[in-house]
Amino acid sequence: MMSFYFSRLVEIYPFFFTGLWMTCKIAFISLFTCTILGFVLGIFRAGDNKILKFIIGIYVAFVRGTPFVVQIFIIFFILPEWGIQLDAFPAALLAMAIMGSAFICEIVAGGINAVPKGQWEAAVSSGLSFVQQLRLVIVPQSMRVILPPLVGQYVLLIKDTSVVSVIGVMELTRVGWVTVVRIPEGLMVFSLVGILYFSISYPLILLSNYLEQRMAVK
Amino acid sequence: MIEFKDVNKWYGKLHVLNDINLKIEKGEVLVICGPSGSGKSTLIRCINRLEKIQKGEITVNETPVHTRTTNLTKLRAQVGFVFQQFHLYPHMTVLQNIMLAPVNVKHMVKGKAEEIAREKLVQVGMPEKSGAYPAQLSGGQQQRVAIARGLAMSPEIMLFDEPTSALDPEMIGEVLDVMVNLVSEGMTMCVVTHEMGFAKKVADRVLFMDEGKIIETGTPGQFFDNPQTERAADFISKILTH
Repeated sequence: MMSFYFSRLVEIYPFFFTGLWMTCKIAFISLFTCTILGFVLGIFRAGDNKILKFIIGIYVAFVRGTPFVVQIFIIFFILPEWGIQLDAFPAALLAMAIMGSAFICEIVAGGINAVPKGQWEAAVSSGLSFVQQLRLVIVPQSMRVILPPLVGQYVLLIKDTSVVSVIGVMELTRVGWVTVVRIPEGLMVFSLVGILYFSISYPLILLSNYLEQRMAVK
Repeated sequence: MIEFKDVNKWYGKLHVLNDINLKIEKGEVLVICGPSGSGKSTLIRCINRLEKIQKGEITVNETPVHTRTTNLTKLRAQVGFVFQQFHLYPHMTVLQNIMLAPVNVKHMVKGKAEEIAREKLVQVGMPEKSGAYPAQLSGGQQQRVAIARGLAMSPEIMLFDEPTSALDPEMIGEVLDVMVNLVSEGMTMCVVTHEMGFAKKVADRVLFMDEGKIIETGTPGQFFDNPQTERAADFISKILTH
């Protein structure tokens, strides 16, 4: 029986690759937007403007304090009631961007706060503009602190893309769901799903470990 | 060249600068001393607007510093600042530290900036360290690089905030030597320091502060040998016996 299902699974393997491709697409696009958004938010969160700091603080607290599934439901099912109708794919990307940027914001703010105040003062005194201070002096130094947890966060975000299956995006986890209906061999199907996730995450886990060791040396 | 007019500053309730009036002429070397918390560091940090003031006016070359329209980039290019803790950029080599502002603020081409940087390294007596990172240098060497970094912008004024206080005693001399050389080149300097030897040797004027006020000013001779106020006399006896 098992081998019968296995051969059927082999028959439909391209289906899994379309799922994997969708997962990669969501992961790649959202990691990109999360990183940019997270850095911008993190820079202001670590900055001097108290109002901005406070607003970003609320945003981060709210996003970190609610389950990701709930956030997706709000975006996909509640926003339409206010006239904002999104398809599943853009809704998934938006949800990922909001959730990921909040976590990355905290990592970036922590890294920037770890740079001694004197570095800002030296950069200010030499006449560098605010953007130059960040780009040339502060961010390069804070990367040592930011990079290891950032890559770790990437792994979490990639795995969190599985949650967007709840709104019908045909990514890897959804493919597993759909397949298991036709091939009732759950362990086999979801092992395959798991292995495919692992094949994306594991290199990043290794990278994170490597960075952690390298950055810790100095 | 630098003028303070009725400058006042508060940190909350603490009155850190209390009615400061002061004029510093071109080429003058001013040494500022006083007990800790007297406002002397704050005073010079206001000149390049590392600190804000709440009342009064500071001008550098007749240009007001603390207005909304102040061109801070231009101001800070004219004023070099040397910190107690050096604050070199740890992720850059000595040469990169010195070249950063000329290249990015003055938009100098890299070759020209490097030429100037090497020149300044010779001036502070460490041309062989251009490729080193700050962590590989002693405190005295780091502070000399910090001075070179300030000089690379060809400032008209150099501000020194306790430049030798974080150094081991045997390294103080090499930093002071560089500063003395700078004086002989006619640089306008404001130096917060307790180095009496330096003050006696090169200062045109010594300014004594306490509790945010200028208590006394005079030539080094007058100030150290014949202080006019009890507080200054008390302070001098303390740093002499220390």
